[in-house]
Amino acid sequence: MMNPASPLTSNRSRQPEHDPRRDRTAHKIRSLFISTLSHGLIIFVGMFFAVPFLWMLLTSFKSDKDVFHTPPRWLPHDAVRVEINGEEYPIYNVKTEDGVKQYAALKIESGVAYFVDPAYPDVVIPTKLQQGTERVAELVEEVSFRWQNFPDAMNRGSRPGVGASFWVYFRNSLVIAFFMIVGTLVSNTPVAYAFARLKFPGRDVLFVIILATMMLPFQVTMIPVYLLFNDTLGWGDTFLPLIVPAFFANAWDVFLLRQFFRTIPEEMCDAARVDGASEWQIFTQIVLPLSTPVLATITVFTFLYAWNDFTGPLLFLNSPRNFTMALGLQDFQGQNIIIWNQLMAAATVFTLPIIIAFFFAQKTFIQGIKLTGSKE
Amino acid sequence: MENSTERKFLGFKLPPKTVWTKRAKSDLRTGLLFLSPWLIGFFAFTLYPMVVSFYYSFTIYHSKRAPEWVGFQNYTELFADDKFWLSLNNTLYMVAIAVPLGLFASFLCALLLNLKVRGQAFYRVVYFLPSIVPTVAGTILFLWLLNPQVGLVNTVLGIFGIDGPNWMADPNWSKPALILLGMWGMGGTIIIYLSGLQDVPQSLIEAAELDGANWFQRLWHITIPMVSPITLFNLITGMIGMFQYFAQAYVVGGGDSLGRPLNSTLFYSVYLYQNAFLYLKMGYASAMAWILFIIILILTLLLLKVSDRFTYYSG
Repeated sequence: MMNPASPLTSNRSRQPEHDPRRDRTAHKIRSLFISTLSHGLIIFVGMFFAVPFLWMLLTSFKSDKDVFHTPPRWLPHDAVRVEINGEEYPIYNVKTEDGVKQYAALKIESGVAYFVDPAYPDVVIPTKLQQGTERVAELVEEVSFRWQNFPDAMNRGSRPGVGASFWVYFRNSLVIAFFMIVGTLVSNTPVAYAFARLKFPGRDVLFVIILATMMLPFQVTMIPVYLLFNDTLGWGDTFLPLIVPAFFANAWDVFLLRQFFRTIPEEMCDAARVDGASEWQIFTQIVLPLSTPVLATITVFTFLYAWNDFTGPLLFLNSPRNFTMALGLQDFQGQNIIIWNQLMAAATVFTLPIIIAFFFAQKTFIQGIKLTGSKE
Repeated sequence: MENSTERKFLGFKLPPKTVWTKRAKSDLRTGLLFLSPWLIGFFAFTLYPMVVSFYYSFTIYHSKRAPEWVGFQNYTELFADDKFWLSLNNTLYMVAIAVPLGLFASFLCALLLNLKVRGQAFYRVVYFLPSIVPTVAGTILFLWLLNPQVGLVNTVLGIFGIDGPNWMADPNWSKPALILLGMWGMGGTIIIYLSGLQDVPQSLIEAAELDGANWFQRLWHITIPMVSPITLFNLITGMIGMFQYFAQAYVVGGGDSLGRPLNSTLFYSVYLYQNAFLYLKMGYASAMAWILFIIILILTLLLLKVSDRFTYYSG
């Protein structure tokens, strides 16, 4: 109940003689104002997130020249071309004595353009482009999305000529991700089950130890693990150092799975125990089938991790034919001349599987983030 | 079981002393079998490497030649190494600025996304999507956006008459540029805060409203304390992650000139990597790794200790 003395008491109750209709209008205006302000703020901040993303997409559709157009334009532009004798030539707006004409430029050499009127392709009109302070010809452009950038980027590698294209990198990333997902699912589930449901001496101490490994920086184990895989086992420049550790469980996934397993009613397991089921049977036949949501989460997050991982491939993969997308893209960027439109096209292809996965499994994504992010 | 038998170790409650019945032995066997993937992995990929890298940190070890024991030489050399201090400084800059700034901005974004407006679901997707863009792709995208001459950001700044900095090419602006990149991908933290905001009991807010608390007072006295466990958790994981900041800096360095411009992006983990795999000073790098571990350990415990007074746990 409202306390009449409270400062929060609305104008309406303090001034009952007020016209209620005017009040309603005022309320409407107020809520409209708040809603507009909210939308405005959300959109303004949202630009920070959306614009870089759009810029990546738009750049990947631009022509080599358009990428460096100053000032940059949002939409990709390309020269309008016309076909003459089976070859394509760009169109220019050329100032002539008879006004502005659209001519095709056969070639441009040391400031002189060799124009032809597309209607009379045999009459070449050599024209000096710069006459005094005036530029007499302007390239005619239109909005045009250059899809060709995608095959161009994917068919080349980070270093053309070594026979490894981005398709190879893409396949390598997929192969590694696939085996990491299998390994993660197979190895983490029994471990998490033991921590969630089994009772045995030493369990809680071991659980503290596994949680403590979360705090251990990867750099501490990096060098011996590198030497073990690379020198002792001779697995350098193969996928094995990336895949094999996934088969030996990790603290994050164990924790996530354990939290979920603990929500499965204990009575179900107990009933099975009374019926003489072994722990392995309970685990595989009762707990796992009930755990598809969390298994989906693990799958998605392992994929995300494997797809994104840069340090692992950097340490272990040397030859371009073994590169992953992350490594290939970095290598491509590290070249002396950066081909931005193709680089952005490759980056888009690199990002695409994750975006697709997100739209198919939005709930799984969000659930997983909440589970890993808000440890109880 | 009685409470009087309760034992403690480092503040953790220990289970009562095990009586080794036949049952306990068979339970242990089953338990260890289930745990075996992790146990093997723990010994092979955590415990053994830890011991070995600790040993390496007291040796001079150039990859192919056998390690040679030198006592504390690596450590004393590190403390006299200007680049070590520089890389630590660069990293502390990011830990002290990027992490709190990211948390603060994430919280504000979560507040925005919690507003009841039409299209809320769409806006949430927009804020979240950049966080799943692969690190390397995002970093390259920002190199392009922040290109001093033809980059979008400086063009837009130019419209407002601002002469944009050289960003990744300027030692004073390379770290702010990386902070921007980090904030672009903070969607995960926003989602976590958002779920925290949704868990704040509506009854508490309404009670405060009745008592005359304004929006800011409700935020300060109810919402922020209620999400403080999330803040603590993200602060700690963010801090640990920032000490290992590597991929973005590596991409900016272009591989062969790590730390550019002028070592302003030579972060701790980058310098460690450089020592281990470019200079092949494995012992020196191992010493760096152990110092890193100790710093992280101390800061984590410190944060946990200090936060006791500022964190509110319900239930």
